[in-house]
Formats: sequence, C-alpha cells, structure tokens
Amino acid sequence: MAVTETLPRNDGIAPTTYHVKAGGQGAALDIRDFNLWYGETQALFENSLEIQKGMVTAMIGPSGCGKSTLLRSLNRMNDLVDGLRISGQIMVDDFDIYGRGVDVIALRKRMGMVFQKPNPFAMSIYDNVTYPLRVDGVTKKSILDDTVERALRSAALWDEAKDRLKESALGMSGGQQQRLCIARAVASDPEVLLMDEPCSALDPIATAKIENLISDLRGQYTIVIVTHSMSQAARVSDNTAFMYLGRIIEYGATETIFTNPKVARTNDYVTGRFG
Amino acid sequence: MSALHEQQIPASGAAGLAGVAARDAAGGRRVRRFSADLSAVGEPALWAFGGALALGIILIAGFLAMIAWNGFSTFWPKPIERVELTSGEVLAGVATRGGPYRPGESTLAQLDDETRAAIAANDGFASRTLYQTANFDLYGDDFRWVSDFEVADITRPEDFFYIERQQWGVFIGRIVSLVVDGEQVEITPDRLSREQRAARQRFTEIRGLERGDIGGINHLIERERLAIRRAEIRLGEDSPEAQAAIAEAQARIAELQAEFQTLQQRVNAIRAEDRTTRITFAEVNGQQVETELSQVVRFFPANALSLPDKIGIYLSRWWEFVSAEPREANTQGGVLPAIFGTVAMTLLMVVFVAPFGVITALYLREYAKQGRVTSIVRISVNNLAGVPSIVYGVFGLGFFAYAMGGTIDQLFYPEALPNPTFGKGGILWASLTLALLTVPVVIVASEEALQAVPRSMREGSLACGASKWQTIRYIVLPKALPGIMTGMILAMARGAGEVAPLMLVGVVKLAPALPVDGFAPFIHLDRSFMHLGFHIFDVGFQSRNSEAGKPMVFVTTVLLLALIITMNATAIYVRNRLKRKYASGEF
Repeated sequence: MAVTETLPRNDGIAPTTYHVKAGGQGAALDIRDFNLWYGETQALFENSLEIQKGMVTAMIGPSGCGKSTLLRSLNRMNDLVDGLRISGQIMVDDFDIYGRGVDVIALRKRMGMVFQKPNPFAMSIYDNVTYPLRVDGVTKKSILDDTVERALRSAALWDEAKDRLKESALGMSGGQQQRLCIARAVASDPEVLLMDEPCSALDPIATAKIENLISDLRGQYTIVIVTHSMSQAARVSDNTAFMYLGRIIEYGATETIFTNPKVARTNDYVTGRFG
Repeated sequence: MSALHEQQIPASGAAGLAGVAARDAAGGRRVRRFSADLSAVGEPALWAFGGALALGIILIAGFLAMIAWNGFSTFWPKPIERVELTSGEVLAGVATRGGPYRPGESTLAQLDDETRAAIAANDGFASRTLYQTANFDLYGDDFRWVSDFEVADITRPEDFFYIERQQWGVFIGRIVSLVVDGEQVEITPDRLSREQRAARQRFTEIRGLERGDIGGINHLIERERLAIRRAEIRLGEDSPEAQAAIAEAQARIAELQAEFQTLQQRVNAIRAEDRTTRITFAEVNGQQVETELSQVVRFFPANALSLPDKIGIYLSRWWEFVSAEPREANTQGGVLPAIFGTVAMTLLMVVFVAPFGVITALYLREYAKQGRVTSIVRISVNNLAGVPSIVYGVFGLGFFAYAMGGTIDQLFYPEALPNPTFGKGGILWASLTLALLTVPVVIVASEEALQAVPRSMREGSLACGASKWQTIRYIVLPKALPGIMTGMILAMARGAGEVAPLMLVGVVKLAPALPVDGFAPFIHLDRSFMHLGFHIFDVGFQSRNSEAGKPMVFVTTVLLLALIITMNATAIYVRNRLKRKYASGEF
C-alpha cells in the first residue's frame, strides 16, 4: 500500500521501457502483467518482460525490489510460500506456467536453478549431479555416467572432480560446491538456468570462475541471473532489467542500461547515487 | 585500587562499561572493568547453579557407585564364621552386614553389669552382625542377627562348605559322606567335584528331556486337542468331517502319548540312577541332611580358598546369573529369561514406535496445514508424555489385551476358549503399551529434526524436479535421521526402564516359556514374559525372604543399567555414524 502512495503511477516509473538487444531469437519466457502477493502484501506490480532465448538476462535493483521473487516465480519456487496469490501470465512455449493442469515438476525440470548459497546434498559428487535424473527414475549406469561427465564439464568442474566422484560433495570448497550446483542444474538438460545471486557467498576468485562459466554457457541455455553486483551484471549479461519496488523500471540491452538509460532512476542506481 | 578509586572514574566522564586506564609503574596501561552493583553481577547465581549441578552429579554418581559396589561384590565368596555364643549356642554363617542398634529393656535386663555399663556408655547402642546361617530346611530361617556382646568365640573352620542347592537354598556345614552308585566312597576334593559335575550333567539331561522333548510332545498334544475342538466348532460336532478329523487327531495323540511314555521311561531311568549318588551334610550342630548329589549346584570350602579359586567362583556365579534360569523364587540362579524378555520387549517396542512416530511427525511437519488444529494436536501429543505410566498400563490392559485380544481370540482362537490366547497380557500388548507411552518423545524429537533441515536443501531438491515425497525421502529424512534417532534413544531408555504399566499387560514373576522357541510359529507374541525391572521389584519386595533377595536386587539393577546403557550406546553409535555421513556442509 505504501508503495502506491509513494510511487503514484504517473511519476514516470510505472511504464516499462523496452529496448531489447538485437539478435534475440525470440522469447524463452514471456512475462505478461504479472502481479504477486504474499498474503496482503503485493510484491510484484504488473511485471512484463520478454526473456530472450539463449541470452543472459540480468536482473538488478536494490534489496527487496522483487527481483528474486520474480526469478522464483519462473519455476514456481514461490509455491512453497503460504498465502501466495498471483495474477497475469508467464508464458513458456505458448503455455502459461501458472495455468491450469501445469505439471510443476515437469516445469522445474525445464528450469534449472542455482541458489544464493551453494546447497549440495549430503551425498557424493556423483549422486548430486545425477539426482535430477534419478528422481526421474533413470537407473542406467551409462546414461548416468555420461550425464555426470557432461554436466561437470559444462560447469568447468570435471578436471577437479573426476577423481573424487564418490566422495562427499560437502568436502568441496564453496566455489566448487556452487559449480557443482550448476552442474546439477544443467544435468537434466534444462532450457533455462535461473541463478539467484549465485556468487554472493563466494570469494572473488570463485566468483570470476562462475562468471566465466556463465559466459561459456551463453547460447546453450537461456540464463536469468539475479545479482546485487552491477559490475557483474555489466560483465556477464546481454540484457538487463532494472527493478525497483516490485516494478520493472527499465529493461534493455546491458550497454544501454549502464551507459544511456532512459529513466532517470535507472541512471541514479547504476551510477551509484542510490541503492 | 579501592572501590572509591573505581567510582571516581565514571564521575570524571568515562561512563558506562568502558575500561579505566590506570598508570602502571612499569609503564603501559592496565585495563580494568568497573565492578557493578551486586544485583547486576551474575557470579553469585552462577555459583549457586553450578553448585547445585555439582551436588546433583555427586548424588547420582554416589548412587551409581553404591549400586555398582553392592552389585559387583555380591558374588564374591565370603568366609564362613563359626560363632559360639555366651549362651552356649553355636551357629555358622556368613557375615553379611552389621551396625549399631539399641537393645530393648528385656535384653538389657539379662546382661551382666559390665556389658550393660559399656552399652550405657555408648548412649545405649550396641553393635550387631547379620549372619546368613542358611539351612532353611532345618531352621526355617536364613538369617540371624547376633549382637557383639553375645559372642563368646569366632573361628573360621576350614572344613565348612558353602553349598548352593537346587532347592532349599544354601547349606552351610561339613560334608559327611558321599555315596556313588550305592557305594560309600572316600571323600577327596577331586572325586567330589568330578562326581558333582557328572551329577549336574544328569540333572541337565533330565531337565532337557522334560522341558525340551516332553515339553514339545505336550505342546503337540495340546495342538491336536485344539484341532479336535476346532473341528467340532467349525464343522459341527456330529458331522462326518468332524468325526474324521477327530479320529485322525486322536490317532496322532495316541502316537504322541506312546512317544511320551518312552521318554518318560528314559527320564525315570536317569532319575533312578541319579538317586544312587547321594551326599550327606552336617550342619554346625550336627544335624544331618541327605540329598542327591545332583541337587548341589555349587559348593566350596569358603575358608580354604585361594585367590584364583575365589575368582573362579565369582565368575562362575556371574555366568550362572546371566545364562541360567532363576531358582528359589527368583532369589537364586540366573535371570536369562528376564534379560531376554527385556531386550525382546524393548526391540519390539522400537519396531512399533519408530514408524508410527516418524510418520506422524512427517505428516504434522511436512503435510498438515499449520494452524489451530495442528497446534492442538501438537499440544495433545506433548501432554501425552506427561500421563502417568500406570494409566497407560490400565489402558493397555483394557484396550489391547481385553478388547483387541479378546476379539482376536474369538475370531482366530475360538477352540482354546475360555482360555485366552491373546486376550490377556503378553509381550505384544506390553510392547504396544510402551510404544504408546513413548511415541510422544519420538514425535517431538522427529518434528524438531525435520524442522531443522535447512530450507535450501528442500528447495535445491524441488528445483531439480523432485516431487515433495522424493524430496522428503531422499533429502529431508536422511538429514533428519540423526535427530530422529535421538528421539528413538530417549524412547528406548524410557521404555526399557518402565515397570509399572508392564505389571498389568504381561510381565510375570516366572514365565514358563520364552516368547521365542522351537515350535511353530517360533515367535509367540501372546506369551507373558519376565522383565528385569519387575524382577527387581519382585525379588526385593515380594519374595518370602527379602534379606536373601537383597543382593540379587543390586546385581539385577547393575545388569538392567548395563543393558540399557548398552542398548543406548549402540543406538548412539549408529546415530553418530549417520551424523558423520550426513555432516552439514553449510558454512
């Protein structure tokens, strides 16, 4: 409620500005007029966003602006919250992921997710990576072996981990654990990778590795990354969405957002004047 | 550095808890904290609580030490004393304990002046000793108090034996004669122990035949009898099928009875042989007792033992205690059936309580909508833990034994009625009752363990496309398992030591048979059983001669404690292994 009072709809914030980078292969995810409430509190206001296939889309904005909420809406992770309500649509291949009869489990298999803190399971490295397949009922060893190698190579972890696949994942360093989580997320060969501040718990070297990895994965997967670090967004992303108080203020090519934003508030944020 | 000095500093502006800097002679500054008002200082409370804790620990340790000392010293062979009293009476016995007491007026009146003066000088107290005089069959008493002033002389004759018998308890006296196969033989220690071992072997053989083979035949005959009864009930008493079945069963019974006769003859033959080997004892006043040598369980010259002999006797008594059946109204012999009953009942309880408690906790924590109803359920579960255990016993008897057991009897065992099969206390109902008693502990602990599984783990699994159940099954439960195990351990500790409810639902003083034996279906959950906790109560407070049972109380307590500690230690070991396996990787 306070949000609408301090931000009347016509102060130049509400309208979303589209400046989608050329070369997009069309929308992997199309968010249309998406509103979200936690109980009585509205967290997202009329978000509309086309996330381009095969590109890295960064979401930036000050704490509590709703960027994580929006990200977690994309694979319906927010369903775990009591009293969640939504309106609007999020389209994937012409079906609404909040529509009736949607198989949430199948949806999540198409959307790999990497969390803020590395959360490997208390199992061996091998079992961690194969977990998405095993819950699907895959037991054939050759398939599992191939998947482990492919996923760990994708996550640039194969050389470090190939000799200790049977060891506990909990014995790895934080950066390795996070790359393992990325390997786990890509193991089921998803279309989209959702990353929720994947480097916030890591040191600079591990962060650099993850960023390189994101660059490597560009093109293979559509990546949506939420980040606090504007330099990171500038480094890794093709498109950037700036969010503020539950609204998407501006969305466009990353260079544009960082060098020549259309909205004054975006400029203030990316130049560090607030946030 | 007076209080005055310290108080001046806040006045000069360095307020609050900051340190005060005082110039030291050696240079540099010493940092001191201000002393605060007494009410603001925690130290007195700290000392009080710490002291109370220390006192509690000392009390518990002392209690355990007392039990351990009494328990472990019981089986150590003690010397026999021959006591001559001033009245001319003579007795022989083992001094068990003693202490000061106040002699009555009439006793004092009979004493000479010197003794009376000595007692008066001691504030009216004299000291006395309790002797285990044994020989219950001759005197009708096992123990006797002897006041010190009565004693004229104490000797320790080397030819006195401490003889543990199968019946009538201990005999203390000399061995007079030994008859082997009807012929008097010379008594040498070697010969005696050899003959005694042979006699005991005969005794074991007779018992084995009676319990095992004859018991088995009785069991089969009873089964045939029940089969006849069943045929009568199911098929109608006069129907030709029933008649045929009855005839068949009766033929089998006749066969079994013939077998029974042969076995009985064998037993009688061994018995007759056994009766020809006899031993005669004489107690201190010369009265003689003759018995079969096979009745002698253990004998030793208590005053002529070397240390290795004593250790041997000590160990053999312990071995008998943990491996044999009780005798002499549980005050002698072993407690194997009680050990077995305790362990079997506890394990069976765990089998019931584990799935029930964990599934309940899973539903409450993972599936139920958190709200008013779940909090009411939770409060109720917590309150269940506070219900007096005897109430559970009454409930178990009424609901499990009479209602459920009675129904089972009517449906499945009508042929045995009016004798109940399941419609009485038994190990199944006892375990279920204890499971009910301990399930709140498991639920609460499991819920806490489930709650402690980090959200990020669940989310990680769900994001991989696992279903809720898969997440619980592969991620949440393994992670919560150590906590759940802690609940199980608490439940086990409580269940194994519980006695009151068991007295109503299946524990007996002396169980004729173990719940597990060689007859189909091998595990007899309807049978009543023995329990160490109840054994302590029974031996210590229900036996004809509580003085004779007293040492057994301590030994049984030591054993019960050891058993519970062992079971818990095993569970804790398993839990710690699990914990290491699922060690947290969070940082």
